[in-house]
Amino acid sequence: MEKEMIICRCEEITYGKLVETANTYNCTSRELKLRTRAGMGYCGGRTCRNMVDSIAYSSSERISTEITLKYQPPIRPISFGDLGAVER
Amino acid sequence: MTRRIINHPVLDKIDETNVISFTFNNTELRGLKNESLAAALLANGIRTLRVHEESGTPRGIYCNIGHCFECRVTVDGQQGVRACLTPLKEGINVSSGETFLTSVRDWRSENE
Amino acid sequence: MSKVIIIGAGPAGLSAAITIAENGLDVLVLDEYMIAGGRLLGQLYEEPNGNWWNGIKESQKLYEKAVELGVKIYLNTPVSNIEKIDDTWVIYTNTETYTTSHLLLATGAAEAPLPIPGWTLPGVMSVGAAQVMTNVHRVKPGYHGVIIGVNVLSSAIAMELKLAGIGVECIALPKMNKVTKESGNPMDVMNSLLHVSHMAPSTFVKLGSKLMKNEFMKKLGISFFPKSGVKMWDIPIMLRKAVIEIYGDGKVEGVKVATISPTGEVIAGTEEKIGADFVCIAGGLYPLAELAAVAGCPFYHIEELGGYIPLHNERMETTLDGLYVAGNITGIEGAKVAISQGITAGLSIIHNYGLSNQEAAIQAAIHHIEQTRKEAFIQFHPAVKEGKQKLKQHWENHRNSKKLEILS
Ligand SMILES: Cc1cc2nc3c(=O)[nH]c(=O)nc-3n(C[C@H](O)[C@H](O)[C@H](O)COP(=O)(O)OP(=O)(O)OC[C@H]3O[C@@H](n4cnc5c(N)ncnc54)[C@H](O)[C@@H]3O)c2cc1C
Ligand code: FES
Repeated sequence: MEKEMIICRCEEITYGKLVETANTYNCTSRELKLRTRAGMGYCGGRTCRNMVDSIAYSSSERISTEITLKYQPPIRPISFGDLGAVER
Repeated sequence: MTRRIINHPVLDKIDETNVISFTFNNTELRGLKNESLAAALLANGIRTLRVHEESGTPRGIYCNIGHCFECRVTVDGQQGVRACLTPLKEGINVSSGETFLTSVRDWRSENE
Repeated sequence: MSKVIIIGAGPAGLSAAITIAENGLDVLVLDEYMIAGGRLLGQLYEEPNGNWWNGIKESQKLYEKAVELGVKIYLNTPVSNIEKIDDTWVIYTNTETYTTSHLLLATGAAEAPLPIPGWTLPGVMSVGAAQVMTNVHRVKPGYHGVIIGVNVLSSAIAMELKLAGIGVECIALPKMNKVTKESGNPMDVMNSLLHVSHMAPSTFVKLGSKLMKNEFMKKLGISFFPKSGVKMWDIPIMLRKAVIEIYGDGKVEGVKVATISPTGEVIAGTEEKIGADFVCIAGGLYPLAELAAVAGCPFYHIEELGGYIPLHNERMETTLDGLYVAGNITGIEGAKVAISQGITAGLSIIHNYGLSNQEAAIQAAIHHIEQTRKEAFIQFHPAVKEGKQKLKQHWENHRNSKKLEILS
């Protein structure tokens, strides 16, 4: 039951998959995301980011002075009709 | 039993007179002008706004403030509109998100 | 080009805009939501003096004052990216691109979820979603719900739901796992609840906070905590039951709960069902700092402030020229603190613009933030002050290392 529980709602990545990947590769949060695609869906990880971090940091140490937080723009999807902006 | 909270012990009474009509998946519905699409749909008892593009599981609002993108619908042909922060206008046609095919994955494929 | 641009029309952003406009600079505020006020809109609670803190009214007051002073506020305008090109901040939205020399990020907080099997079903929502549906849109999220996660925000919102005539079956813990951790541990939850006991009209919690000063008494307290819960506003708060699943066919029909040990382990054979047509998940708040991240601010993880914080000083300046932060992006606190931070950021911007010397006003405003923090009715983390101290230390270290770089 818990294994099939969804963590990343956008990409439907499960708790089981994340815990297994974290244990196998003993990876950082960022690596865990890249390996599973958790947090890389439509919402940009706003919903699951903390949960993925928690799973990663239960097998590796959190660096509290991480310094740069990785976020990739655009942080909100842009539709094609919206491109071509001009200064107002 | 209505889902609207017209009278409230502390907050002001709401104005429920500005009723307009719109459609959701081709069904005609009524809502209050300028309330959020999500609120208008819920007031009509509608919770499922779309299905997950790949697995087909039903989805509704989750955060209600624009963060999770679970509530995205198509409004008059424009895809990916967040129902929780889009005001309701007279005569609009709202439908459950169309399949985005590969575009959803690709627009942020460079992410992280 | 606007003189100043503010992203976020919450209490922090609006207060900053008012302060700046009062000093004669023109300001543009951008917000993706449909109404100005941010998360202040949904707030509703009775203060100890008997007055109601009505978030809608407070938001309206701020909004009207800002508009009166000539502040431009563009709603329904999501900002997707910011970057610095030469000496100018460029702000990208879904329609237009804006530029400014002084940019304030007041993007507030986001909710962290607690994963529960079945939580993608329609009818499951964050507790803040239910708050906004109820108090702002005035549509019931459902007729009878269950709240998962026992904390300050969920207790406050449970009361608000009750007030609007919405049934709340219970507030229970999530099943403990690698994600829910402390939120699923009765002892840890009890500990954090003791810090908010002044808010609870429950003799149990009030008495409890006096009695349970030491670990032994706490353990005893949690062992004897009634399985059916203790009632607050007539809602059972269950510290000894955890939700193990949300069930339903196409939509929420209820939750399965099980009794848990004082350390959070599920006791086999104790599962039972509670019917519900909506479920709220309350996993706490974290600063929404994505724009500060894409801009390249250094970050520090500070538990007491709710997560990763963009490095800034007491004047609300970040390490990047012309970039400021205020409100919950700097740490999770109530709206009154956000307002005082917004005012401080506003004064810093005016000062740095070089129009007038605001040094004395800035110092007074910084002092006012601390005062407001001390008197705050709602405190999301009991050790915010210590968190702010840590941040200050990081700022000094950062400055010193910069000085060394210049010297060498
Ligand atoms: C769901 C929720 C419920 C809360 N409930 C309470 C409560 O009951 N009591 C309490 O004391 N505190 C509560 N808080 C804490 C709350 O954050 C503060 O009280 C206060 O509102 C913070 O003010 P702010 O101005 O920093 O941010 P906010 O009030 O959050 O305002 C930020 C604004 O920025 C906008 N924004 C964010 N990103 C973008 C972007 N990329 N583009 C455009 N606009 C953007 C948002 O739409 C929002 O309007 C809650 C927080 C949340 C998230
Ligand atoms: S419900 Fe989360 S974005 Fe609309």
